[in-house]
Amino acid sequence: MDLMKSIAVAASGLRSQSGRMRLISENIANADSGPERAGAEPYRRKIPTFQHRLDRNLDAQVVALGRVQRDQTAFKSKYEPGNPAADAAGNVQMPNVNTLVETMDMREAQRSYEANLNLISSTRRMIQRTIDILRA
Amino acid sequence: MATPFSAAGAYASISGMSAGNLMRRPAGNLGGSDAAGTDFAGLIGKALEATSDVGRKADAQTASVATGRADVVDVVTAVAESEAAIETLVAVRDRVIAAYEEIMRMPV
Repeated sequence: MDLMKSIAVAASGLRSQSGRMRLISENIANADSGPERAGAEPYRRKIPTFQHRLDRNLDAQVVALGRVQRDQTAFKSKYEPGNPAADAAGNVQMPNVNTLVETMDMREAQRSYEANLNLISSTRRMIQRTIDILRA
Repeated sequence: MATPFSAAGAYASISGMSAGNLMRRPAGNLGGSDAAGTDFAGLIGKALEATSDVGRKADAQTASVATGRADVVDVVTAVAESEAAIETLVAVRDRVIAAYEEIMRMPV
């Protein structure tokens, strides 16, 4: 039944948006994760990618999380001579995570999740109303 | 409000349901006058089996979420599917029984 398929497709959307949410939370949680020692890299921001995929069982295009990309922008630099990971000039490299950007991404993930939820509840309502015809 | 036509429709839809789970397209043999398994008991039995199969799947998903092995999303879809299957079965049953009662009330 097509309506059941659309629920399954929306469920794939929910799954990938929750995966995106996990990456955003990793980014926010690691916003201060500096390098372990001098010369090492701090936490590099993760970027989720989404891919469409043909589900042969379902005969429909579903979405899935693709390879997680790493943000290649430059690290932030912080002057902290006491830090054991500081370089000769006393600077420590800090993660290239901007909490504001992450918050916006989080909102976007939230909205997409809600859109998929709405699709599921609308579809269920349609199924329900169709079955109700049999009852009347 | 049970008419012979609605009973025939109920038969057709229940034979479609018994063909497999709801994801599959129902087989389009209306009338129910073909080979084996067209008697009412057989149809109901097959439909019940298919429905309880979907219900079992939903139960299994719920159990695996409770033990932390599955996604809540899977449970939602499984439960939605089993709910639709059960409600269709119940509606068809009510319809068929109403048609049967209508026939029994017929003065012979």
